[in-house]
Amino acid sequence: MGFGTGDLGDFISKPSFRGITIDFRKLVQPNIGVGFEIGWNAFYEAKSSEVYTIGNLSYSGKQWRYNNQFPLLFAVDYYLQPGEKVNPFVGLGIGTMYSLRNTDMGQYTLEQDAWNFALRPEVGVMVDASPGMSLAVTGKYYYGFEAGDLDAQSYFALTFGFVFKKL
Amino acid sequence: MRMKMRSRLAVVIVTMSSLLLGCYPQGPEATEDLDVVLTYFRDGYDFKAKTTYAMPENIVKITGNLQEGDAPEFIPDATATLILAEIDKNMLAMGWQKVEIDEDPDLLLTPASWDTTTIVYWYDYWSWWYGAYYPYWGYYPGYVSSYSTGTLLMALIDPKVVGANGNPIAQWTGALNGILTNSYNASRVNKGIDQAFMQSPYLKTN
Repeated sequence: MGFGTGDLGDFISKPSFRGITIDFRKLVQPNIGVGFEIGWNAFYEAKSSEVYTIGNLSYSGKQWRYNNQFPLLFAVDYYLQPGEKVNPFVGLGIGTMYSLRNTDMGQYTLEQDAWNFALRPEVGVMVDASPGMSLAVTGKYYYGFEAGDLDAQSYFALTFGFVFKKL
Repeated sequence: MRMKMRSRLAVVIVTMSSLLLGCYPQGPEATEDLDVVLTYFRDGYDFKAKTTYAMPENIVKITGNLQEGDAPEFIPDATATLILAEIDKNMLAMGWQKVEIDEDPDLLLTPASWDTTTIVYWYDYWSWWYGAYYPYWGYYPGYVSSYSTGTLLMALIDPKVVGANGNPIAQWTGALNGILTNSYNASRVNKGIDQAFMQSPYLKTN
């Protein structure tokens, strides 16, 4: 799940239930994992008919708003209880995030995009489910700095996933 | 064991990605969802100082080229009557008085309409290329689709205020735009006309 904040939260107020991340970590020490994260979060909101005014010009109609976020991060995690059944961890990601925003109104779309420099702190917990596989719940905060056509893009994400060990 | 883990990982990734793509929102679902209304007014014009307007009894359809001798076209009388009645209703509600053109009205309300057709043409070059070399392969030469949009324009013109070229200047413009359907939908058009006046409170004289 994703919850937009700042400019993204102003543009789309509804949470997103469309998203996927793929993470890879290699344990360089028993309690430190290094790797990468790639992901996609799709924010969407259909706005009922409203009037938008700029100076002497007023334009009314329905809008369909889309904000797609694609983080590409180098990530480091610190595991607090490695080897235990329940293993909490904290981590930080640094890299870039591609933001693609579309505002559809009438027959036209306004498209804006940016490659944002991004930081992503996270906190989560892994629970062993079976040999070689764990379940993970993670809270993340993505912050992409202002770039291109867009102001800074930021959002919270709550993820549920599978961890496959020893690939 | 390693292969089993990788297989599980691949299944999870493919399944989740497919679900995500399948759940991507599709946007508008009905033609009226794409209806938009635009209004614009010129700075400094005092609408409250005016009270009367005149309007023609038909709506010109902007098409062809009058300069080449084409006769002007008009939208069907039955449709024009409904549109003009709705415009009159809104102007009356805003305190305006309708007069005849030879009674020296303060403003002229000039309605016009046009439609445009957009053709979307897709041609798969590579399928054609394969088809040329391997005639036994099937290929799709392409497809064409089109849609038409209609626009109704309303302009309030002060005949005493002209521009540098000697032509009068529209002090207020309202435009409705939407996808055309096979039959005239009075409800859609009336809704758009009402909206144009609703978002122009500066036109009120009462």
